[in-house]
Amino acid sequence: MNAPTNGNGRIEVMNVTKKFRDTTAVANLSLNIDHGSYCCLLGPSGCGKTTILRMIAGHESPSSGDVRIGGQSVVGLDPVQRGTAMMFQSYALFPHRSVIENVGFALKMRGASKDERNGKARELLQKVHMEKFANRLPAELSGGQQQRVALARALITNPRVLLLDEPLSALDEYLRLRMRGELRRVQKELGITFIHVTHTQLEAIAVADVVVVMTQGRIEQAATARDIYTAPRSAYVARFIGGQNVLTGVVEGVAGGLATVRNAEGARAQFPVDKANPAKGASLFAAIRRDRIHLTRNSTYRNGDELNAAVGIVHAIENQGTYVKVTLDLTTEEEFVAYMPDGEYFRDPIDIGDRVVARWDAQNLHLLEDASGGQQFAAADKDVALM
Amino acid sequence: MALLLIFFFFIPVLVVIAVSFFDYQDGSIVEAFIWDNYRDVFTSAVTITEYANSLKFAAIVWALTLLIGFNVAYFLVFHVRGVLLQIGLFLVCTVPFWTSNIIRMISWLPVLGKNGLINSALIKLGIINTPLEFLLYSDFAVVVGYVHLFTLFMVVPIFNSMARIDRSLLEAARDAGAGRFRIVYEIVLPLSKTGIALGTIFVVTQVMGDFFVVKVMSGGQSTSVVSALYNQVAALQYPPAAASAVCLLAVVTLMVAGILRVVDVRKQLAS
Repeated sequence: MNAPTNGNGRIEVMNVTKKFRDTTAVANLSLNIDHGSYCCLLGPSGCGKTTILRMIAGHESPSSGDVRIGGQSVVGLDPVQRGTAMMFQSYALFPHRSVIENVGFALKMRGASKDERNGKARELLQKVHMEKFANRLPAELSGGQQQRVALARALITNPRVLLLDEPLSALDEYLRLRMRGELRRVQKELGITFIHVTHTQLEAIAVADVVVVMTQGRIEQAATARDIYTAPRSAYVARFIGGQNVLTGVVEGVAGGLATVRNAEGARAQFPVDKANPAKGASLFAAIRRDRIHLTRNSTYRNGDELNAAVGIVHAIENQGTYVKVTLDLTTEEEFVAYMPDGEYFRDPIDIGDRVVARWDAQNLHLLEDASGGQQFAAADKDVALM
Repeated sequence: MALLLIFFFFIPVLVVIAVSFFDYQDGSIVEAFIWDNYRDVFTSAVTITEYANSLKFAAIVWALTLLIGFNVAYFLVFHVRGVLLQIGLFLVCTVPFWTSNIIRMISWLPVLGKNGLINSALIKLGIINTPLEFLLYSDFAVVVGYVHLFTLFMVVPIFNSMARIDRSLLEAARDAGAGRFRIVYEIVLPLSKTGIALGTIFVVTQVMGDFFVVKVMSGGQSTSVVSALYNQVAALQYPPAAASAVCLLAVVTLMVAGILRVVDVRKQLAS
């Protein structure tokens, strides 16, 4: 049995469903990941992201559908035959074996001689700067060091796909930031496919070429990290990724590619609808980045006085260093947040309880589309509330 | 705790050691300090055969209980899904312990006997013509009895250490290309070491200290260290019995010390 080394790591998940007894973890899901890309599966716990990873790894088999790696179906094959390697959430280092034995384990299973596997293991330990710890036991290493060893162990067979299950969740904040840069560097260097499961939005956006946002066993949006952040497809994605305010209202009229929308509080905004022509009375959703909102104190403004503005009471203020996060109470259920540049904020600081008008440019609004339509938006809202 | 140990462990042992140096006459103990009892133990040819016999039983029984115990524990830990079923099967393992040792030993007689279940079944099936003699009142029967009695003492500690093994270790090994037997050999076995050591101590000390199973199952044809000791006690020769008891205690202590040297059992007992 010869493992393909550095073969084509293109992954195709085709109409895969996975059921555990009576719960459906993954529902008829399809996903393509190009060879050599860094892909993050992102979602809250229980959304099925780890199940997908394990089905690609060969530790779980799909109830129906097909998984292909490099164009070939791998359902039923062992991990070794797939040319994949997995890095486990708790690292799963063998506690009774030294670092170098851990790293060389896969070669031992392939019948490599001790010299051969120790040589290769040393080479990989060098790559992750752990060669000094070769003879230690895993329990004698810190979390970050264990992670490096686990990475070296996963890479020793020259896999074409590396699968990482929440690789950074056991580390503290400082190490997490460092290691995610490290992972990205290693991936670029090797040019193989990385699939990284995480529930942390910023982590996904920081490392991945492609981010797949999942909820309840299906894909909500799969796009580049930048697109996910600047052009979320649905209200769910916009809310989950954060950094966006989701606006909603009922169409009053459409003119020149802009729909005038009025919300329950009477605030009015123009949503860019392009060529679409939503009917009067239809509900629309749009997202706007929190750093595209301008706040001014105003005690007399009433909702509806201007377009693309809403009035609210300042609810919370958090200084984030380079910007200030101002949370408004708009009396709608949705949280509404503005990120003000620190210079602008401190020229004339707003206080909690102040009455302010939030204004934005209609061009910065991003219409949230969803084929399922208005009614199922309501259902999506419920999902968010459940989280 | 310390008081309990003093009253029920240290004082009795000291008494036995003291008595082992006493003299005896016509069934009564005479206070003295003589080495004769130990000289008798070490010069008697019977001692060697008894120890050889007991050690042979201990070795065979250890190997068999380890083989069975490891497999039962492995099955319970890694193949039985659901804690309830696991506990249920565990209780099933303890069912034989709901009756006394004596009844359990005696119940082998109709199974292994000359006209017992196995012999009559084999004869009816035409596999043999005359009953197999070695089934009962033989070393074979003694081993059957021991294995029956002591396998659970191997299962429990091994189960305990196996249950602590993180499942993702097995997956990591599989991911690295290890087959099922390789996983057992490379991961499960080394990580069950403390359980195996504890089980070994239980089984070996019990076999070394037994006379009843040997007596019943061998029909008096085989002897163990303790069965000789028992005969001395029955003849009211307490000082020589005490001397052999002290020797046996020393031997078993050395064996346990040897096991503890190889495996650090504290790791499991502590956590």
